[in-house]
Amino acid sequence: MNNGSFKRVKAIAKKEVVEFTRDWRTIIAIIVIPILMFPLLFIMFPLLLESEAAELNSIVVDVVIQSDEVPDSLLGQLNDTSILVYEENLTERTPLSNPGEDITRLRSLSIDAILRIEQRDDIWYYAIIHISTSESSNEARSRIIDAIIAWESNETERIISDQGLDVNTTLNPVRWDGEISQGDVATQGEQAGMVLSLFIPLVLAVWTFSSAIQPSIDMTAGERERGTLEALLSLPCTRNELLFGKWLGVATITGVGVLLQIFGLLFAIGYLASSSIIGIPDLSLEATALIILSIMLFAVMVVALELALAMRSHSVKEAGSILGPAIILIIFPALFTQVINLDGVENFWFAVPVVNVLLALRELLMDRVIVEHIAIWFGTSLLYALMAAYYAAKQFGREDIVTSLS
Amino acid sequence: MSETLMTISNVSKSFGDVNALRSISLEIKSGEVVGLVGSNGAGKTTLLRLMSGVYKPTSGTVCLDDGTPVDKMRQRLGVVPESTGLYSRLTAWENIRYHSRMHGVSDKDSWSRTSRFAKHLDMLENLGRHTKGFSRGMRQKTALLRALAHGPSVLLLDEPTAGLDITSARTVRALVKQLRDEGGTIVYSTHHLAEAQQVCDRIIIIHNGDIQADGSPDVLLKDTETTTLEEAYVSLTQEKARPRNDDQDNEGRFTKWWRRLFTPRVPRYIEGDDSSE
Repeated sequence: MNNGSFKRVKAIAKKEVVEFTRDWRTIIAIIVIPILMFPLLFIMFPLLLESEAAELNSIVVDVVIQSDEVPDSLLGQLNDTSILVYEENLTERTPLSNPGEDITRLRSLSIDAILRIEQRDDIWYYAIIHISTSESSNEARSRIIDAIIAWESNETERIISDQGLDVNTTLNPVRWDGEISQGDVATQGEQAGMVLSLFIPLVLAVWTFSSAIQPSIDMTAGERERGTLEALLSLPCTRNELLFGKWLGVATITGVGVLLQIFGLLFAIGYLASSSIIGIPDLSLEATALIILSIMLFAVMVVALELALAMRSHSVKEAGSILGPAIILIIFPALFTQVINLDGVENFWFAVPVVNVLLALRELLMDRVIVEHIAIWFGTSLLYALMAAYYAAKQFGREDIVTSLS
Repeated sequence: MSETLMTISNVSKSFGDVNALRSISLEIKSGEVVGLVGSNGAGKTTLLRLMSGVYKPTSGTVCLDDGTPVDKMRQRLGVVPESTGLYSRLTAWENIRYHSRMHGVSDKDSWSRTSRFAKHLDMLENLGRHTKGFSRGMRQKTALLRALAHGPSVLLLDEPTAGLDITSARTVRALVKQLRDEGGTIVYSTHHLAEAQQVCDRIIIIHNGDIQADGSPDVLLKDTETTTLEEAYVSLTQEKARPRNDDQDNEGRFTKWWRRLFTPRVPRYIEGDDSSE
């Protein structure tokens, strides 16, 4: 590329970025949403869960206990929770889990759950009748189970003691020695990498594809529809310079969006996440460099493909109706990649379009740098990127792109 | 004698089965204003696009004075397409500067030429405004300034007064006359014979892809033995104009079939069948 050509490509890319950023809706879509999405998710989601849990804890549930003789110790456990207990005689006995006539009361939500309990010989048999589509009924069932587990534990300990045995050695004859986490030789960073590898590739792939849709359409079918392309095509620049300039413009906008989203995610993980499962992954320099390389190759392919498909279209509407559903081409392989076992993964997976980059990202996030795999995904990704660029160049070379609907 | 700036030799242009232009040859001389006159679909825009290098001829050549094909020497051309092609989120000056940079002209030189012509077009105060709110006339003037900013040898104008109010159209025509007086070379496509007569030194009448006449207004009147250009035009274009069906009809077969599948047939009373009456 000579100096004049470089200047023209730069001028096209600069104009595209300037024009795009002058639309405030774009700034929100490309900058504000990506940077705030994960931090807000990490703040809002725990808050929402806490608030929902508090709301459930505060409600008093109505439970009917059907039994000929309710053990006092069980009643004591139930009364410790926010359960309003109504006692009734047991009429339905075969088996206890058969709702029988009580189905009407539960379906009308006049009560939240029914506990049936009876002693046959030395064994207590019980069943909880509830309606799983009601939150309060589920909560009532959950509280009854907690009370029964506590009561059962006390009963077990009492019976063991009555037999003259030591409760601790009888109930726990096999024990783990030391801290359980000490047995895992993976570092916390590697564990974090494994967790992140399950969703970061998906997020990156989907976001790269989806955030490139709007600029791709605007810079191709949009120009065609608005009638600005003819003036542009009469300028002393080649179609390939035009493609490269527009590609650079879309890649810059998309790249900024994806980078900000990753920044927001890492900020959320580093400063907002309270879980020990998720954290900043340990990545070597070469793994980090390869991650960037794989994303770049993926972006080259995706942006070129989107520009080509949008340029084929006669209008913004037509381009949108092609590129919108095309996101399935990314989502399906991305979901599919999540279930591939990386231990002993077959080499051919690293040659499958889209899957190869997503698998590479998964492996690299776990800091696994396997030369054979890298050679395959790099080679195939480069090939796919070149094919996409060639296809885009063909579309940009079409004579009919000058015609506009307007 | 004026030197030839552009030579069009045996140029044909087809879009699928449609011959938009058939073996056209003409020369554009330095310092002349050439009017391309014809009905819709006659081939005026196709010829202008061939001259600007946007289209490649199916056969024949379009070359500049040094024998270089036009698509290799676009920096010598200034083009104003019918749609003007302005970016609404850029200011008028940014639109002009963008094209000048693509032509390899410095911002300083571009501004110097732009401000000079902007004064004539009464656009100087509007150069810093976004073109989104511009009227059709202001858009046309901005497109003209953009085409002139790099100092082209040939200016190609595709219906520059279409849709303009009377005052704006007069201003545009005045600028074209001024450029002619300064020795500029302009190819000017229009529907309006009166406008062509007023502005152009030479008129080329195109009909159904062929050149029907080429000469000064006086020569056209003499050759057709008519008293007005309108009569001359009518006598030269008696053959029925073809429907516009050129390069815009480039849909795929499946797309066409699908659209027709959900299009009801024209009712018989619309077709003119009055048997039901």
